Amino acid sequence: MVERELVEYIVRSLVDYPDQVELNVIEGEKSVIIELRVSPDDIGKVIGKQGRIARALRTILSATANKSGKHTSLEILD
Amino acid sequence: MTREFEGKTEQEAIKMAIEELHIEREDFDVEVIDNGKRGLFKRENVKIRVHVDSTEEPEDYSFSDTADDTYEEEEEEETLEADEEFEASVCSFLEGVVSHMGYTCTAKVTSRKGRKVNVEIESESSNIIIGRKGKNLDALQVLANVYAGKTDNERKIIVDSEGYRVRHEEQVVRSAYRIAQQVRKTGRSRLLEPMNPYERRLVHTALNDVTGIETKSEGTGLFKQVRIISTREHR
Repeated sequence: MVERELVEYIVRSLVDYPDQVELNVIEGEKSVIIELRVSPDDIGKVIGKQGRIARALRTILSATANKSGKHTSLEILD
Repeated sequence: MTREFEGKTEQEAIKMAIEELHIEREDFDVEVIDNGKRGLFKRENVKIRVHVDSTEEPEDYSFSDTADDTYEEEEEEETLEADEEFEASVCSFLEGVVSHMGYTCTAKVTSRKGRKVNVEIESESSNIIIGRKGKNLDALQVLANVYAGKTDNERKIIVDSEGYRVRHEEQVVRSAYRIAQQVRKTGRSRLLEPMNPYERRLVHTALNDVTGIETKSEGTGLFKQVRIISTREHR
């Protein structure tokens, strides 16, 4: 899945512990939820001050060419 | 050049733009500033901004000289030496993000100034890379800076495509001058649209030299609004 690979690529590039990046895709009828889990030390790197990085990730996600036409949302779990 | 139009619907506003500017629909981009929706049943006029690609300047901006001065003042620090390995890794990160988004592009460093490294993204899909109001470009820049910060905390990456940032900066400053003039004339304060800290600073410094008005930021968070206030005595 394109969106999953996109998030995985970006997040692995940004964090200090790329091998601890876990993604879980929940696919619904009309939307897709990507759940993201990273090392507790890296959580700041994917959320950022006032959620800036998380917002940037979601913006990029929404600009991604998707063929399925489903809305993709990103949830960061801790 | 940009102009704003208002109509009952977006189509109507576009039609007005075509008639008034004597141009074809293909010759300009439309940005909806206000979709007119006020709750479920209330509707007001739709406001659009029309961007026309034209080389000639439609108006003479008498203040532009002072604006240029404030641009120049900003950078006095020495430009950091180019770090090729660092730059190559940032560019390939950006190319990787864009290709995972499903578009092709090339990213390269175009210039360096002070601590800033300017990266230009060239792509057939640059309209998507830029996004509405530069939203996607800003997001790419945030990510590029987090990535860059891992190896080098000194440098700041500025991501641009098709000269969008320069064009946008000029537009922000220009409209600020225009509104400042109105405030001076009418004595009524005006609130500009929400802007990020960098854009707000541009407005504050640009209007610093304009007499009869002062500027103030309002609101909380990253995107505050600048208010332009007349300093003349209230009648």
